[in-house]
Amino acid sequence: MDSILLIALLAPPMFAAAVAILARRAPVGAVWFDAAAMPVSAGAAAAIALRLAAGGAPLVIGTAWRLDALSALLALLVSVVATLAAWLGPGLERRGGVPGTEIRHFRIYANLFASTMLMAVSTSNLGVMWVAIEATTVTSALLIPLRRTKPALDASWKYLLICSVGIALAFAGTVLAFVDYATTGGDLELALNWTTLRTAAPSLHPEVAQLAFVFLLVGFGTKAGLAPTHTWLPDAHSEAPAQLSAVMSGVLLAVALYAVARWKAIIDLAIGPAFTDTMLLVVGMATVVVGSVSLLSQTYYKRMLAYSSIEHMGLACVGLALGPLGVFAALLHLTGHALAKSTAFLLSGRVYARYRSGKIGAVSGLLDTAPATGVLFAATLFALAGLPPFSLFLSEILIVQAAWRTAHGVVTALVLVLILLAFASLVTHLQRMLFGKAGRDEAGRDVLRGERASVPLGILALPVVLLAWIGVMLPAPLRMLLTYAAEVVRP
Amino acid sequence: MTTVVLAAAELLFLAILAPAVVGYVRWLKARLQSRRGADLFQPYREFRKTFAKGMVIADTASWLFHLAPYVVVASTVAAAVLVPVFSASQAGDQFGDLFALMALLILGTMFLALGGLDPGTAFGGMGSSREMTVAALTEPTLAIAVLALALTAGSSSLGVITGTLLTTPANAIGPGHALAFAAFLIAMLAETGRLPVDNPATHLELTMIHEAMILEYSGPYLALLEWAAALKLTLLLTLAANLFVPWGMATSVGAAALAFGLVVVVAKIAVLATLLALLETRVAKLRLFRVPELLAVSFTLALLAATSSFFTR
Amino acid sequence: MDATFSLLTMTGASAMLLLALAVLWRHHVPAYITAFRMQSVALAFVGAVVAWFGDVSELFLVAALILALKGWIVPRILARMEARRPGDRGLHPLVNTEMSLLLSGGLAVAAYEISRPVAEVISLPTRGGLPLALALILVSLFIVVSRRQVIAQIVGFLMLENGIALLALLGAYGVPLVVELGVFLDVLLGVLVMQALVPGMGEPSAG
Repeated sequence: MDSILLIALLAPPMFAAAVAILARRAPVGAVWFDAAAMPVSAGAAAAIALRLAAGGAPLVIGTAWRLDALSALLALLVSVVATLAAWLGPGLERRGGVPGTEIRHFRIYANLFASTMLMAVSTSNLGVMWVAIEATTVTSALLIPLRRTKPALDASWKYLLICSVGIALAFAGTVLAFVDYATTGGDLELALNWTTLRTAAPSLHPEVAQLAFVFLLVGFGTKAGLAPTHTWLPDAHSEAPAQLSAVMSGVLLAVALYAVARWKAIIDLAIGPAFTDTMLLVVGMATVVVGSVSLLSQTYYKRMLAYSSIEHMGLACVGLALGPLGVFAALLHLTGHALAKSTAFLLSGRVYARYRSGKIGAVSGLLDTAPATGVLFAATLFALAGLPPFSLFLSEILIVQAAWRTAHGVVTALVLVLILLAFASLVTHLQRMLFGKAGRDEAGRDVLRGERASVPLGILALPVVLLAWIGVMLPAPLRMLLTYAAEVVRP
Repeated sequence: MTTVVLAAAELLFLAILAPAVVGYVRWLKARLQSRRGADLFQPYREFRKTFAKGMVIADTASWLFHLAPYVVVASTVAAAVLVPVFSASQAGDQFGDLFALMALLILGTMFLALGGLDPGTAFGGMGSSREMTVAALTEPTLAIAVLALALTAGSSSLGVITGTLLTTPANAIGPGHALAFAAFLIAMLAETGRLPVDNPATHLELTMIHEAMILEYSGPYLALLEWAAALKLTLLLTLAANLFVPWGMATSVGAAALAFGLVVVVAKIAVLATLLALLETRVAKLRLFRVPELLAVSFTLALLAATSSFFTR
Repeated sequence: MDATFSLLTMTGASAMLLLALAVLWRHHVPAYITAFRMQSVALAFVGAVVAWFGDVSELFLVAALILALKGWIVPRILARMEARRPGDRGLHPLVNTEMSLLLSGGLAVAAYEISRPVAEVISLPTRGGLPLALALILVSLFIVVSRRQVIAQIVGFLMLENGIALLALLGAYGVPLVVELGVFLDVLLGVLVMQALVPGMGEPSAG
């Protein structure tokens, strides 16, 4: 049963990629296969998550695969967002116009991308996790320049170079931890297994563990968009096609933070949580400052969403540093952010299709021209700004509470101010886009008015409803899953 | 008493040998360029000739102009005393160590630059400013390269460094030693004004560094400065040979050992001078703004050598 | 026996660090590619030495792969990329040569200081070369950040990977084979993707 669940989780995106590679003549067939296969993966993830939320034991298969509550949570987020992207990706529009090569390209690399992320969170070997995360960089870098414009190529290059360098540093950290473990005379074959390292952690040497964590935080932090190595994020997420930005912003950043959290769990057992907490706090706060302050001056809406991602990842990072409640809040935050950000980017794709411009100034009267999209877009931006009833409000309150409880007064105050700043910026930009007279699009034509009810809109409404439901009620299975996941990081 | 005699003998040896070294390098370069070349003793004849000539002093020259040649000679001679030549009995150590050596060398360089500036000619000033640019990087490099050896030997006295290396040759194995040697050689080329940093045989004023500073000097002053330059070259070559490859130096004060040490050091200087001539024939002069890059490379090599010595004591 | 082991690995590691300095010194891209190629050969040499003295036979395979992949295939890819980007010739680095070299000397000193706790913990005869591996990592990082030519940035990244591989070899006689193979694959894919992206680009910056 366990193996079947694992295969149902990992195989669908790989099959979908294979089908897309083979279907040169009929790309639409590949698209429908993709749309049908991804829910299977999401369903498997949900099944595993429910089992673990009910208190079940982690799913272990051989020495390579292990899904505990933390893995299950991330796997669920990845598969759900990937499913959304598959359903709303190029190739399924009513009006065609997207070249077949582009459709195939997207389906191949997006599915490879999804499968590498799923592999990263389901493996128990930290070395394999590293390889998978490096593979996510490679597969997504090929997809950013889907239309080969110069800014897109430049953005992809910056992303590839900076993230590859960062990941290499994370590997240096992994090697240092491995070297340290090797000196304790343990079994080298299983050396990079998370459970083995966890058991051996108390016998690791303090200075080496500290040095390793610094490299790991800088390395995986680069991939998560943490300051000061976040510079690739705004360019990459704004130049990528909307569906890719949705997946990258929604879950790739979360997977990188997952890697940090996994290593934190080990290093904390070696030297106590104080060192890693301090480092995460400093890096997290710097990231939130960068994200919130940059939001003020944004003129392109996709870049605005990218900086919002930076801010939220910073908040999650800060949460990880604030004790068990903080970790719970951070994981809840990642969940809410995955849903909200991916939906926001997918909606921004619809806005772009209507207005043909990425500028906030060029988009006005959204409520007039495309009311359903406008309402949904407003809802997601409210969610990202941390307004009730959405779950991000709850998680931000919990993070502030955790900061207060662990006696970090300055952090509490600063976080509140920055959240407020981000809220103000997002709502201001949103207001400029929603209201006013509908202008002309980039080609000078009048923007098309009115919007019919359609399946994509219906699909996009689901995450918004989910966010509200979680924010108001925090259903028990999710709460239990988050609790168990938090215990993995901070027992 | 014997140490003082020994130190004096080593100094005399270097002082007399210096023009021959310069003569040998010139002769070998000529041969490599298919010319016959003047023989080894030509520099001696030139000194005798130049000493006998009258001097023409610029009207704008001051007391500094007259002082500079004496200070340069004095500082170079004092530096030569510190260098262990053919005996490992550490004769020069009572007078000073590696830091004193560096201080004396820079003293000489500084006064030479001042003497170049003093008459107020354009070429002199240009040469002086170039020389100080080069010296700013070479002096620390030389110091740190020797420091790398000093750290392993545990003392900054040159004689002790040489002696330690003689007794424990294992110290010489390892990349630190080789790096320090390479850095020392590059810095030496710059310090003594040889190619690829400065062409000693050039007659084009705009390409000169060392020659431009002594352009205004004539007669005995010029002879003194030329001889001091030859002595500087010889003492640095000896230092390179004896600090990094000291085997063959006399470890006792017996006549046979000393004679053997003498022969060995002459041979080592000859080998280094041959390599110098070959290098000068092979490379072209670097453009001036590329010179700091080369010197930065040698400085980094010296720094790496010193760091590895420091941390692996 | 141990002394020879230590000496050979130290020499190999020093050669690798000096070749990274060569990238900071020279101005032309073919020199960078040659420096990287020779550095990979030195890495393969260190791998073979560790395999021989440390009695870890799978490292012979790793050394052969390093030689094939980083000593031959990747330099060829880089040379082809270089031929397609003549416009990069005019780009000067953000930090000039002298400062770059002095800074890397400083980074080497820092690396010695940082790696002191690590070297104390390890009891293998290769631990003398650990600071050099860390210095190589830091200098490669500096190369990536301070160069504006695309190929120079890629060479810096590849040297960073070499440095980490050296760290693994000297610190624990290499990582498990699975991970090693995964790393090779990632590097190869990375370079291939970079090669695909480069022709359409303008002047990039690594911000």
